[in-house]
Formats: sequence, C-alpha cells, structure tokens
Amino acid sequence: MLTYLDNNATTRIAPEVLAAMRPFLEDRFFNPSSAYECARGPADAIRQARRTVAAALGGVAPDEVLFTSCATESLNAAIFGAVRANPARRHLVTSAVEHPAVLEVCRDLARDGLEVDFLPVDRAGRLDPRAVVRAVRPDTLLVALMHANNETGVVFPIADLARLTKEIDPSVLFLTDATQTMGKLPLDLTGELAAVDLFAFSGHKLHAPKGVGALFVRRGARVRPFLIGGHQESGRRAGTENVAAIVALGAAVERAQRTRDADEIRIRGLRDRLEAGLLASLPCVEVNGAGAERLPNTLNLSVHFIEGEGMLFELNRAGICASSGSACTSGSLEPSHVLRAMQIPFTAVHGSIRFSFSRDNTDADVDRVLAAFPEIVRGLRRLSPYWDPAHDRPRPEAEPMMRG
Amino acid sequence: MAWEYSEKTKQIFMDAVQGKPGTHLGEIEQPDGFGEHGSIACGDALRFTFRVERHPEDPLQDRIVEARYLTFGCTSAIAASEALCSLIESGGYSPVGALKITNHDIVDFLGGLPEQKIHCSVMGAEALEAAVFNWAQKRGVDLEALGIDLHAEDKEEGRIVCQCFSLSEPYLRRKILELGLKTIPEITGAVKAGGACMSCHHKPGGLQDLLDEAWGRKATSFVPLPEFPAPRERAAAVNVAVATGRPILSPFQFARQIEQALDQYVRPQLRRDGGDLELVDVKDTAIFIQLKGACAGCPNSTQTMKLMVERTLKEMVDERIRVVAV
Repeated sequence: MLTYLDNNATTRIAPEVLAAMRPFLEDRFFNPSSAYECARGPADAIRQARRTVAAALGGVAPDEVLFTSCATESLNAAIFGAVRANPARRHLVTSAVEHPAVLEVCRDLARDGLEVDFLPVDRAGRLDPRAVVRAVRPDTLLVALMHANNETGVVFPIADLARLTKEIDPSVLFLTDATQTMGKLPLDLTGELAAVDLFAFSGHKLHAPKGVGALFVRRGARVRPFLIGGHQESGRRAGTENVAAIVALGAAVERAQRTRDADEIRIRGLRDRLEAGLLASLPCVEVNGAGAERLPNTLNLSVHFIEGEGMLFELNRAGICASSGSACTSGSLEPSHVLRAMQIPFTAVHGSIRFSFSRDNTDADVDRVLAAFPEIVRGLRRLSPYWDPAHDRPRPEAEPMMRG
Repeated sequence: MAWEYSEKTKQIFMDAVQGKPGTHLGEIEQPDGFGEHGSIACGDALRFTFRVERHPEDPLQDRIVEARYLTFGCTSAIAASEALCSLIESGGYSPVGALKITNHDIVDFLGGLPEQKIHCSVMGAEALEAAVFNWAQKRGVDLEALGIDLHAEDKEEGRIVCQCFSLSEPYLRRKILELGLKTIPEITGAVKAGGACMSCHHKPGGLQDLLDEAWGRKATSFVPLPEFPAPRERAAAVNVAVATGRPILSPFQFARQIEQALDQYVRPQLRRDGGDLELVDVKDTAIFIQLKGACAGCPNSTQTMKLMVERTLKEMVDERIRVVAV
C-alpha cells in the first residue's frame, strides 16, 4: 500500500486516459501529416483534443491552443517568443517565486542584457498588485506571473493582475504559468481571464502522461515561434506531434472538466483534515501560505528545528510519498527559493514538507499520515540540538530563531 | 532525486531516529569536550560532546569513554554524527589520538556517501576538532606546543569567499589542501562553498583562483557568465514615457496636482466613512489607486469610488485621466 501525496510533482495516469491514448501507440501509429487515409485518424484525434482543451479554457478558438512537450517548453516558447517578437522592448516583470522554467529563463535573458524585475512576495506568499503596477514601464514587453505556486499552493489573483497590466499598456503581454491550476480551478480565458495572452500548462499534473503540455496564445499576441521546422501546429510549433500524449491530454482535460467541482470539495476536505490533525498534534508547526488563498490540494508545512530530508526518509519507510523544500532534497545546497522569498525563518525552511493531493487520494491516506508523521517528527526532534524533548518544546535559546 | 545512501547509512539513521539502544543520541552534562559545527541557517548543525576517564597525572593519557551528539540535518548528517561517536568510543582514543579520525574514516564507516553529502562527514570531523580544542583548554593542555594546529574557527577570520555559507579564504585554502579538493564541485561537496548562488566560482579571488593557487593549474575551458546588469533608474523610464506621451505637465507636477486634488476633494469624503485611498502610481494619464480602511474589499464601493475619484480628477486636473483601482 502506497500513500502518494506528491501530486504537485506528478500524478498517476487515469485509466480512461490510458485507454484513450493506447490505440495511437499501437495500430494507429501513423504520422498525422501523412497523406494516406489511415493517417486521418491521428489527425482527427489531435483536432478533437484541441477542441476539448479550447472548450475547457472557456471556449477559446482551437487554433489558439498549441501542443508542446511539457509546461517548461510552453513557458520557454512564450517568453523567448515574446522577446523575439518585441525587440524594441527590453524589460520583463515576473515574481521571485516562479517555477525555474520561468525564473531561469528570465535570468538567462538578463544575462543577454534584458532587464527583469523579480517582484517579492509577503510572508504568506502573496504578491502585492501595487508592485506589479509600479513595475510595468514603457519598455516592458512581458509580465509573467504564475497562477498557483507549486510549492505552497498560494494562488495569485491573475485576473486582476492581467487586467491591471493591460490598463497600463495593452501591448504588454501577460503570461501565466497555470501548471498547478489546470484541471483544479475554473479557468475562463474568454471571461475572467480575458486579459491573459499566454497561458501554459502540462498534462502530467492532471492524470495525463509526462511529455505533453500546451500553450494558449491569444490571437494577435505578438509571439514568434520557438521550435522551428515543419508546418505542424500551423508552423508555430514544429516537430511531429506526440499523438498519443496529445490524445491523453485531451481525455484528461475532459475528465477534469466533468468532475472538477465534486473532486475539489472532496480533496479540500482531505487536505483540511490532514492540516488540522497535524497542527493539533505537533507544536511549532506552521502552514506556509496560511492567510493567502491556496489551492485546495496543497499543504505545505514547516516543522521547526528538524530537517526535511529526514522526514521524507521516514515517511518513505512508512509508505508515504511527499516532498520537501529543504536544501538537502533540492539537489543543490540551497533551500526552496519560494520559502526564502516568503522570508520564512531558516528554522522552518529546512523543515518544510509538502503533501499534495489528487482525486486518487482517500481518507485512508490521511489516516496513515496522521498515524505516522507526528511520531516521525518527535523522533527527529529528539536528535535536534534545538529541541527539548522532555517538554516537547524548543530549547529556550532556540526559541527566538523561530521568529527569524 | 532518490536516495543514494548505503544500506549502512540508512540503518544507522533509522536506529538513531527510533532511539535504539546503542545509539549515541544526546548530550553529556558537564562534558570534558564540547564542540559545535554548522548552523541552522546553513541547513545542518552538530553539537558533539564527550566524557573522558581522566588520567591522574598525564592529561594526554585521558581516554574518551563516552561520546554523544545532537544533530539538525539530513539523513546523512545524522548518520555521520552517529558514525563519529561509534568510531571514537570503539577506538578507546585519547582526545589527541581521536584527531586521527578524519572525514574519510567517517565516510568509510558509512560505506560511502554521495558526493554532495561529503560535507556531512566534514562537519563531524570539524565538531570533533572543536571538542578536542575545548578539552585541551579545560585540561590545560597546550596543543600548539605538541605541534597540533587545530585552526579553531575563530582563528580563521579573513576575507569571505563564499557569502552564502560565510566561508573564509583561510578556511577554504586549508580545506582544499587538507581534503585534496581539485574541482569546484568537490569543494561544494565537501564544505558547501559555492553551492548556492555560485557567484564565487569564477570571480577574482573566487574558488577557481584558490584551486589554481593550491594546485598550480589554470582553468582553460570556462567562460564566465556576464554579471547581471544593474536595474536602470526607474525615473528615467517614466520620463521617456512622458516625453513621448501627452501630458503637458512634467510627471512630477502632474502627480503633485493629482495628490493635491485627492487631498482636497476625495480623501475628506472617504475619511468621514472610515476609509482612505493610496495613490499607487501614475502611468501616463492612467491613475492607479488602492482603497484603504472601510472602503477596501467592498466591490460596490470600489466601483463607486473609482467613478467619483475619476470625475474629480478629470475636472480638477486633466480630462484625459483614467482611474484604475488596484
């Protein structure tokens, strides 16, 4: 029995999604660009998937949806494409808590001489809309802000931020990384989100396989193609289509549309029960992003005075998959840039742990974490030079560290 | 990144977390040797204490009989702490003799450590040195007279090379030679230097320079990335906009007139109802305001206020003004 609570990292492929894609890996393997009759099936399937995605985004035009290989490609295509199409403008606005697929691209462009403002967030992970207004200037070409944060689940008010950007200058492009919200929140690019020009997400966060993503490009948005070659995707994204994965993405989006509202209520219930249970059983634990609007599926906790990797290791032994923003699990020696941007004290950044749910999770998963996690924390705190296990509280000299 | 720990490392960690008998978790009260290394900010910290059986005449013949640790850190940091204590207790070392234990012994004891986790073993060796230094002070042993130079950390003040982990030039020079570190990834793996922002890798006096000085080589293949350009003065950008835009007044005068109109005609009304507003920005003729106090967060009032403010400013300042609520 595995309790998988790392759904912001990736999700399990849904059975109906696998069934939908399977024929295109087997008998219907044809290249959709080929001329013969049997290639029409794959071409029609892609067309159908594009219509499904376009409908799920609030009824945008199907030709505004491009299929890509992943959200990272979508974001690279959007940013580099916007920069190349607007050479007279040299300024970008983004936030300090974006996914590396945005952050590192912006840093790379800064090395080329573009100017980038990385807007800060507050202690709850919120972005001040006033900062966005002040940052946009006459030579700004793109504002790139994520919809929901992958680590904390904090949701930015994208509709307002896009609207404000357009009020300043309608020719500034607005890009949203919606990787964590596609399939989770209602998304209407013809209504509430009508000021968003570019909108990126991937399939594997919503029960489609890895290796497929999409980019919405609003008609008229000045963006040059990124992958250049053949005529696929109307010449705006070359490369033979990953037919099976695109079909899968369509099926996953359709399924998410159908059950999203009911799923959301159930997932939020699970997350809230886990959150309340852990906060009640452990001292010196805080919810990162508490006080901000958060995704219903994400719980990011900081457990003061212990390190995240040890927690993950012990959770793993208990059959529970989660993730941490600690330095030791990042592959670098830096702890999470998101939690640091939120100015979470060091005692807590290294002890951060994220549980992220999907519709596959059940009450039994919550029960297992509630049974295992408090004991894991107590075990690690016994080892900590900052903790007084006899009284289950920080040592007096360590207490001020919690306030950073 | 899945775990690449040896079975022994994992077993030692699990035993420690469960507080199994025979593990060395804890802190000796009134220890004969006390040493700390690392900090919570860096992500790992070790407090190491030991107790000796005192020799009646010669402190150098003291025997370490008990060693304990408390560690904030990852799986390998905890396992390395446990390994250090096991090695010391089983060896029947004198404090000075224990200095022979190096981070390599700890790595061997653990059956190897991933490269990026080598610093956990170095931390153990550093804490041991600090504890022996502390013991020598308490027992009146002059280590320098014995030809032992412990480089207590407070003696290694100097130019900071790695700002992220506060590592000084003397410390890094010593570690490069001591641990035989030949590349920047090796330095990062062993002592963390350069593992965060990476700006110290190739700048003058940075890690590559220290390596070149230590081993007499010159890097040939690496072209350093240019530094980030400094953000341009924002005021200059606004001036450009105004120069090409329509307002006749200078941006300063224009904004001042808006502030005056708000002060005179708008704020008094809002304040009567417990509200207020902030002028967030002026972009060309678009005026960005944010409602405060009792007015904030009320969608109806936002719309009403926006119209009221806009009408006032159009009348008082410039009819092209457009008000946007933030």
